[in-house]
Amino acid sequence: MIQAVLADDEVLARQKLRQLLREIPEIEVAGEGATAAETIDLVRATNPDLLFLDVRMPDMDGFDIVGELSNGSQSLPCIIFTTAYDRYALRAFEINAVDYLLKPFTLERFRAATERALQQIKAKQQNPHAHAAKSQNGSPYTTRIVFKSKGRILFLPVSEICWIGAEENYVRICTQSETHLLRETMAHLEEKLDPSTFLRVHRSSIVNLQYVKEVRPEVDGEYGVLLNNGQKISMSRSYRSRIKYWLDR
Amino acid sequence: MHPAIFIGAAVSLGCLFALQEWISSRFWNYQIHLGLLLQAWGVQYFIWGVICWVIWWKLSPQINNATLRTMLTFFLPLSIAVGVFEEMIWILIFPTLPHGRPPMPYWRRLAFVLDGEMIDNIVLFWCAFFLFRGLGYYQRFREKERAESQLQSQLVQAQMRALRMQLNPHFLFNTMNGISSLMRSDVQAADLMLEQLSRLLRITLHRGEAQFITLSDEMEFIEMYLAMQDRRFAGRVRQQMSIDPHLHDAIVPTMILQPIVENAYAHGLSKLNSEGLLHIEATSDGSRLCLSVTNNGLGLHLTPPNGKSKGVGLTNVQDRLRMHYGDNHSFSITEIKNNTVQVIVKLPLQLSERPIEKSTRYGVS
Repeated sequence: MIQAVLADDEVLARQKLRQLLREIPEIEVAGEGATAAETIDLVRATNPDLLFLDVRMPDMDGFDIVGELSNGSQSLPCIIFTTAYDRYALRAFEINAVDYLLKPFTLERFRAATERALQQIKAKQQNPHAHAAKSQNGSPYTTRIVFKSKGRILFLPVSEICWIGAEENYVRICTQSETHLLRETMAHLEEKLDPSTFLRVHRSSIVNLQYVKEVRPEVDGEYGVLLNNGQKISMSRSYRSRIKYWLDR
Repeated sequence: MHPAIFIGAAVSLGCLFALQEWISSRFWNYQIHLGLLLQAWGVQYFIWGVICWVIWWKLSPQINNATLRTMLTFFLPLSIAVGVFEEMIWILIFPTLPHGRPPMPYWRRLAFVLDGEMIDNIVLFWCAFFLFRGLGYYQRFREKERAESQLQSQLVQAQMRALRMQLNPHFLFNTMNGISSLMRSDVQAADLMLEQLSRLLRITLHRGEAQFITLSDEMEFIEMYLAMQDRRFAGRVRQQMSIDPHLHDAIVPTMILQPIVENAYAHGLSKLNSEGLLHIEATSDGSRLCLSVTNNGLGLHLTPPNGKSKGVGLTNVQDRLRMHYGDNHSFSITEIKNNTVQVIVKLPLQLSERPIEKSTRYGVS
């Protein structure tokens, strides 16, 4: 059973977290903190795996709590921020928070966040040193990106990206359920993504090989990439040899 | 004004008078030293400069508001007093003057000088008086002009704000009503709608007072708005969007499309039971941006063709376009096919030059 602590100064906000957590049987609430001091004591006493943390608390802000906790001897729990403010998202991302939920959030959004947290916690339990090792060898490729889209903050694991299309000064990031338009360049993005998973198949598209169903010839002698969701992305000749190599593997 | 201006101007005037006297005395073959003349005139006008500055400093409101009565009862005696006072100081500084006369006691000298200069002094005083009055008028005129232009721009801003505000509340209340209704039947759906509404509000708040945004930002809002409408009309309307990628950075007035889309739903699509189609398109011919919103609702024949039936939303859009672009835009609403209504807005194409944002961050976890 995964132990979680809820920290929010508003009783209704804590109540909502409790209610939503009832839908997720793997997680058990170890306690609730209404102030920063209470939260710190509670975390030290119960040593939870997961912490739901409001940024604005009456005595200290959420980041101060994290700072205080990381000074202790215990390992830091996974943190999901829940807040009404969008301006702390980048800071939260930088301290490796699992997710950043803007209030009000839906059960669906909450579930996605907790699932991500559960994955991380399980990975840590199976291999307690994996995380440390990973950051030591310093993989040059990004595993998640943060951006604002349609009034939300997303900490998107790159494994959820199906494909990326270029649109002039923008890129369109497509996941299985949504698309997001970001002001970013293809070249910059390609640099950040692991080339063993993400393949440039065209001047204006990058696909995630995990979502590729097949590559097939088109009538005009060109090739197209067919994704699992049925979407077709055209491929240019110069990139064809690259995808063949990966698919033949 | 700074005292140096008064003193500097007065002393230069004095030096000119000294030069003039020197030249005319040479002309009459009368030898007098230029240095002495400069000294005498310079000091006299230095004293005048100080007096003028004090008058400006202490009396300028009275000068500006003086009526004929105060001029006669206050400033006329003042001019005589100042004239006498100035000569009294001057005589004190130059005890050897006037030249070529046997030494005289102070009062005799004062009487001698006043006899020659009193009229000049009074004229000088009144010249300064009217100069100051003129300056006062000019200042007030400039201030009034500035206040007026400020007022004008404030007025325009207030109008803009009012126009933008009209767009939001009734949509807000309708949505809240929708949520209120869902709360009884479908808690999850109510929750989702509330979250979507919050996202819309967040985007709106984030924009603040900006009058212009990029088309990509406007479309982000429209997509959110359409997602909410889609929920309301439960899949009865198919939504299509085609935006030329070159136009993501085109600058458009904030909230220009939303009222048009809202109108398409209110007067057309909401009346259909199925097979509704809403198409939003952004194209460009190089110098102009063309935004079109097409719907296959009821057509225009049911609504009278005059402007009043268009409702606040579209009138609002037109007012704002006129305010921003004057005659350099076009707005049309036509029935292109049976029951298919198309709104077309054409604007001068301007692309935002903001650099690629660094709001996207990458990380390893």
